[in-house]
Amino acid sequence: MTPWTPRLSVSAGLLLLSLAGSSAAQSSSSRRGSIVIVTGEQPTMPIPTMMEGAAGTQGNLELADQLFCRLAGLGPTLLTAGDRGFVPLLARSWTRRDSVTLAFDLDPRARWQDGVPVTARDVVFTFERARNPSIAPRLVALLRRITSVTAEGERRVVFRFSEPYAEQLYDATFHAAPLPAHLLDTIPPEGLARSSFVTHPVGSGPYRLVRTVAGQFVELAANQDFFLGRPKIGRVIIRVASDPDARINLLLSGQADAIDNVIPPLDNLHRIKRDTSLRLIPVPSPSVGFLLFNQRDPADPAAPHPVLSDLRVRRAITLGLDRHLLVHAVFGSYAEVPYGPVSSILWIRNGAPKARRQDVEEARQLLAAAGWRDSDSDGIRDRAGQRLQLSLLLPTTSAVRRKLAVLIQEQLRQIGLALELQQLEFPLWIERRTGGKFDIDFAGTIQDPSPSGLTQAWSCTGGTNVAKYCNPRVDSLLDVAIRGQPKENPGQPWFAALRQIEDDAPATFLYAPFYVYAVKRHYRNVSIMPASSWLLLREWSDSR
Amino acid sequence: MSGWLLRRALQAVLVLAIALTILFFLMRASPGDPLARATEDHPISPAELAVLRARYGLDQPVSRQFVSFVAGLVRGELGVSIEYARPVTALLAERLPATLLLGGSVLVLNFTLGLWLGVRQAVRRGQREDRWLTAVSLVGYATPSFWLGLVLAWFVGIKLRLLPAAGMQDPLLSWEAGTAARALDVLRHLVLPVLTLSIVSIAATMRYQRTAMLEILQLPYMMTARAKGLPEREVIWRHGWRNALFPVITLFGLWLPILVTGSVFVEAVFAWPGLGSLAAAAVWGRDYPLLMGASLLVAGLVVAGGFLTDIAYALLDPRVRLA
Repeated sequence: MTPWTPRLSVSAGLLLLSLAGSSAAQSSSSRRGSIVIVTGEQPTMPIPTMMEGAAGTQGNLELADQLFCRLAGLGPTLLTAGDRGFVPLLARSWTRRDSVTLAFDLDPRARWQDGVPVTARDVVFTFERARNPSIAPRLVALLRRITSVTAEGERRVVFRFSEPYAEQLYDATFHAAPLPAHLLDTIPPEGLARSSFVTHPVGSGPYRLVRTVAGQFVELAANQDFFLGRPKIGRVIIRVASDPDARINLLLSGQADAIDNVIPPLDNLHRIKRDTSLRLIPVPSPSVGFLLFNQRDPADPAAPHPVLSDLRVRRAITLGLDRHLLVHAVFGSYAEVPYGPVSSILWIRNGAPKARRQDVEEARQLLAAAGWRDSDSDGIRDRAGQRLQLSLLLPTTSAVRRKLAVLIQEQLRQIGLALELQQLEFPLWIERRTGGKFDIDFAGTIQDPSPSGLTQAWSCTGGTNVAKYCNPRVDSLLDVAIRGQPKENPGQPWFAALRQIEDDAPATFLYAPFYVYAVKRHYRNVSIMPASSWLLLREWSDSR
Repeated sequence: MSGWLLRRALQAVLVLAIALTILFFLMRASPGDPLARATEDHPISPAELAVLRARYGLDQPVSRQFVSFVAGLVRGELGVSIEYARPVTALLAERLPATLLLGGSVLVLNFTLGLWLGVRQAVRRGQREDRWLTAVSLVGYATPSFWLGLVLAWFVGIKLRLLPAAGMQDPLLSWEAGTAARALDVLRHLVLPVLTLSIVSIAATMRYQRTAMLEILQLPYMMTARAKGLPEREVIWRHGWRNALFPVITLFGLWLPILVTGSVFVEAVFAWPGLGSLAAAAVWGRDYPLLMGASLLVAGLVVAGGFLTDIAYALLDPRVRLA
């Protein structure tokens, strides 16, 4: 080894140390009064009415909530039925003229970030855009019961609905925050996505967009003139890292102050728990996971499924699983077994019956009654020479489902059912499930806060009812629940529908997780909203 | 020379055209819906899906989609990404600098340090330094880069807090900090991903260079050079190394496309905003326009790699003529 080898090593070491030495000290002063939130999705189109298709991501929705204010917001109960569970935002009050007419009075202090007042014209303009099927097909479906939106002067806007139902206020306020008509009415609807408004939006919310650095972060600054009070945290960075390990590394290395949804394995949570400067905050999530039973034969959709069309088999699968154990193994204490297809964000979860516990004996009896017996003593039941074997379709992208699938396979073997796991790449999985080419699909969905979305998957004509489950009684009960006027207990009609769904066992409802957030302890007044994580960020403060 | 350049340019266009045509039809023939991501979180009805299909031209016959793609290409457009709802050219342009910085740094380290160490090993064949470097390079070559990345991020970034564990820049660094401070900031973020990628690639280059140099050192003209009384440094670097470079130049040509495709895992582990992660997301999401854009770039780099290799051969070896 020549003398210059150690010299080179020392020089490289010194260079590294000097780079390290110039660490975060440079930006320590700029950290005060700011927050860096690390998340998995790069917001691409945080514009109300434009968040459709691939742009309908949580990243876009949450950023839009910082830039644009809704007419009213969901309150802490997340009650979407009736008019009680909402808090005023752009609208300072609302009055019900009759069972199909709601009038909103806008807050005269509300301003766009360019200083122009928010008017009724903005609301009317936004709903014109939102109900344009070529721009926002999903919104058109969600807003189908709104027949007209009209302005009465500068400050009053009137919504008319096609029929009386419980979620009129929710429909009028939740799906589309108003856009500034004075900036957008000259841009044709189909040109908005490519306009400069997308990159430099002017909203009415507590924060304004400062810059987007592609693939890295979005920087927001407090809207000093926000009509509900200037946010205490002046600078917000939404930092993007698609890899879960990278997100946790950013948090634990001090490069981020908060993280959304620390996903399993539980070891991730344990790593964060060990850092005493952080606190964990579990929040109800819109996610729900279940085993969906195909009611139709995958080979011949006109015929019933040869095995799963039998209610006894479907119930046996549900009873054969120790769902509480499964959930605990993957989520620890941060998930519950739902009653029906109900995520922890839905208000109808409160007061709903509890999910049934495992009953292996009853499961075995049900299978035997259906003619499935283990005639050759190989541990797997059979009937007329056919083994009780089903396939479980799941996407490779979901580590949670992959882990649960193996445990489920083992538990179902105990009741004599052989489960073949078919792990598919995500687009392929979607193609197979939407085409009805499966026995059991390991489904996971994200729900809006409104339970009325249940009709999409669990009614006979539901647009996303890929398993072709159909019980007209359920349709009727769901219809009653949606149309019902909120009384003392608005959940009752929903519970009746859920009971019927549970009785029919079109799926085994497995988990309704809580998202676990981690936030540095020096932030005060921390409150995370389940429907939109950082919605109340404007009320946080930094005690550094 | 000009005739050769023209011929190579025409060849390059032909290769690119064939590659892109095959890719275009293979992509559409493979299973998987490009709008799958749209239904990931919020399942949507067939009617809503139909509107989205029409928006992205996916409702058209494949032949018509191909014609649209070619027409766009002629205009210098690659379409709009399904995932990002933005022009593909803009997306690629945004991510290219980060990839060039990371890949370029790795390439420079690889073909300076790697070559130098490889030559040193060959010259000191069988000595302690050679044995040590052989052992180190074999360990480096056998180390999975994503694992190495995770370990470095944890140890250097979290445990020691010496360098950033992820990202490309400190978003809170003030604009008043100045260009030098911002450059230093990027450099700090660059160290761990470059180390992760370099350790593996340098090891490979060292092995190639060592073997090539050992062959050259045994040739009679090296003995002649020494017999002429030339200084040893000149014998090794001017007479020996120059001729031992050819296999490594071929390696360089092969490395160019890896600039984009080879750093997918490292980009993910270090949240590095490069093209690799963008291309990978396009594959997973069947984002056809973005996938075609990324493929065009990689195919272009493959062609450029071959082109540069030929030129380098001609420059180093007077017997090779570009005609």
